[in-house]
Amino acid sequence: MDAPLLAVENLRTYFYSRAKRAFIRSVDGVSLGVMRGETLGIVGESGSGKSVTALSAAGLVTAGPGVISGRIDLQSNGSRRNLLDGLENYARVTEQDGRVMAVEKDERGWRRHSETLMAGVRGKEIAMIFQNPRSALNPYSTIGKQLVETIRLHTNFKGERQARERAIHWLERVRIDSPRLRFDNFPFGMSGGMCQRAMIAMALSAEPSLLIADEPTTGLDATIQSTIVDLLAQLKTETGITTLLISHDISVIQRLSDRIAVMYGGTVVETGRAAEVLAPEATARHPYTAALLASIPSAETIRRKSYLQAIEGEVLDTIEVPRGCRFYGRCNRVTEAIRGNCAGLEPPLGEVAPGHKVRCWLYPAAGKP
Amino acid sequence: MKFAAIKPVSRVLARELAVTALLLLGVSVVVFAILYLAPGDPLNVLLEGQSPRSQLALGMREALGVPQTWYGQYAAWFGKMLQGNFGNSIRTGLPVLPELARVGVYTLTLTLGSLALTLLIAVPIAVHAAAHGGTTGNTAATLAAYVLSAVPVFWFGYIVVYVFIHQFGMFPLISGTAAKQEHAWLYFLVPIFVLGIASGTLSEMIRHLREELSRVLAEDYIRTARAKGAPVWRHAFKEGFLIPVTEIMSAKIPFLLGGAVIVEQVFNWPGMGRMAWQAAQDRDFPVIMGIALVAAAFVRLGNLLQRVVFTAVNPRASKE
Repeated sequence: MDAPLLAVENLRTYFYSRAKRAFIRSVDGVSLGVMRGETLGIVGESGSGKSVTALSAAGLVTAGPGVISGRIDLQSNGSRRNLLDGLENYARVTEQDGRVMAVEKDERGWRRHSETLMAGVRGKEIAMIFQNPRSALNPYSTIGKQLVETIRLHTNFKGERQARERAIHWLERVRIDSPRLRFDNFPFGMSGGMCQRAMIAMALSAEPSLLIADEPTTGLDATIQSTIVDLLAQLKTETGITTLLISHDISVIQRLSDRIAVMYGGTVVETGRAAEVLAPEATARHPYTAALLASIPSAETIRRKSYLQAIEGEVLDTIEVPRGCRFYGRCNRVTEAIRGNCAGLEPPLGEVAPGHKVRCWLYPAAGKP
Repeated sequence: MKFAAIKPVSRVLARELAVTALLLLGVSVVVFAILYLAPGDPLNVLLEGQSPRSQLALGMREALGVPQTWYGQYAAWFGKMLQGNFGNSIRTGLPVLPELARVGVYTLTLTLGSLALTLLIAVPIAVHAAAHGGTTGNTAATLAAYVLSAVPVFWFGYIVVYVFIHQFGMFPLISGTAAKQEHAWLYFLVPIFVLGIASGTLSEMIRHLREELSRVLAEDYIRTARAKGAPVWRHAFKEGFLIPVTEIMSAKIPFLLGGAVIVEQVFNWPGMGRMAWQAAQDRDFPVIMGIALVAAAFVRLGNLLQRVVFTAVNPRASKE
């Protein structure tokens, strides 16, 4: 098997909350790999750390005295580069029992070094699309100008006219009607869906190796959401772009992903091929994934007119992370046999089937990673 | 694209100019009414030491149009003003308009110079604070700016006069008449320095620019700019810099003019402020009217500039 295009290894991104005088462990030891050409979907509730994982990969986290550690390897032009390389020199982390107690950080040095590492990567190798596309586009500039800027920065279409033609080409590819007219439109004169199309055109126009789509359908009307998902699916088959897709909407993930990572409380609790993880008759499944699936309407629930299940309890507070399983407090499948483990020991991510890993004490295989 | 922006700008310009004309009319009426109602008689200045009942005095009154009704006087002034004749100064007998132009240049130099100085100091501090958060350096600089802005401008002026002129003998006291000397521009810098530092504009400018710029830097579209590897300043410039700077400049012009009156007194600067001061003491009505109009026009010009920049830059403004 090839090396993955993007390999995240034991990523930790902590923020310091001055009000609470504690570290918020947004991402707490995440390992992921995105293979060339595939779409990896990260799904989870708000606050599960999925967006912060994506932002960390793009070097867009500006944490004050926070921690970002681990490795993020990007394969580009046959060479491998760690996007967090050398950053540890700018921060001294004091730990106690595996918990971060204090961080001394040379913030400016850190930021400058991070910018150096990301130069030539952001926009060019890794392009991003965001939620709320209308506010994510510059309201003071036309769609066309913003596309032309990206194209001239990252591709060989350097001339003004060349770049303009290229921009119009991309506006066509994202199925914006009359792209020559839209070229001179400002974002405020366009609908949210149209803005997201322009956003996608802008991201792809740099011809990146990896596209990070951070909640691309959030903030759009429900009907527009499905057209954007359709567009992403079409572009995926047309361009074969490697995508890291982040969404709390499991149906969006289901439509677009080849593989899935389910995140909870800053960790990956289940990962595997989309078909296996979401298969209705899956034999091994993390209780959180099961709960997520039960909370979306399916043809079955609609037919039987049964109620959707909400997941009991609150999203994990990542400041006071429990010693045992992070989902223990909300889990409805704890058996007496494993209760001791659930409460006191964090389960490892164990392989239950080839390529399918679950972080749960229910599966004995999980005990032996 | 370029042409699309011209239409809304010219529309705004036309509207603002119309508003300015109305406003100036209003200002002239109000100032005239206040002068009419206020105690004091310009004749006293002219007839110092003479009996007000003398033949000369009556002739004077006749010549100045005093026997007319107040609206008759205003109409006479207004009619002449429309032809570009602002009348003659009662004190000096010189025509008001050329005199205003002569001293206006000094005041313009003083206010625009001090505005430029304020920008020169405020912009780096505000931009640094917005980009890097509160570091020791920029916090100290901001604090110093707040202290200086809280200092009364006349007091600061006298301190500068005392230290640099009396103690070190660096500049001649009468800076305005120093214009004919060598290195005259150097002497000009002292009042500009005083007004620029202590007029109270500095701290406001830092605060406004820092707040606006840090707000804009936290916007989603700046994150997009960073994500696509584009220079952040290119995207933050319009909303985060150009608009707030023109806003604060236009808002602060009246304060600068007020400060100029004081600074001109302190430094014997032959500008409009001193002329206004003198004219107010002499009840020199034509001069006061002229100065009021010029000052109002200057303030409006600042607003106009701000509106034009805002409309030219902001695509949403042109759709209102």
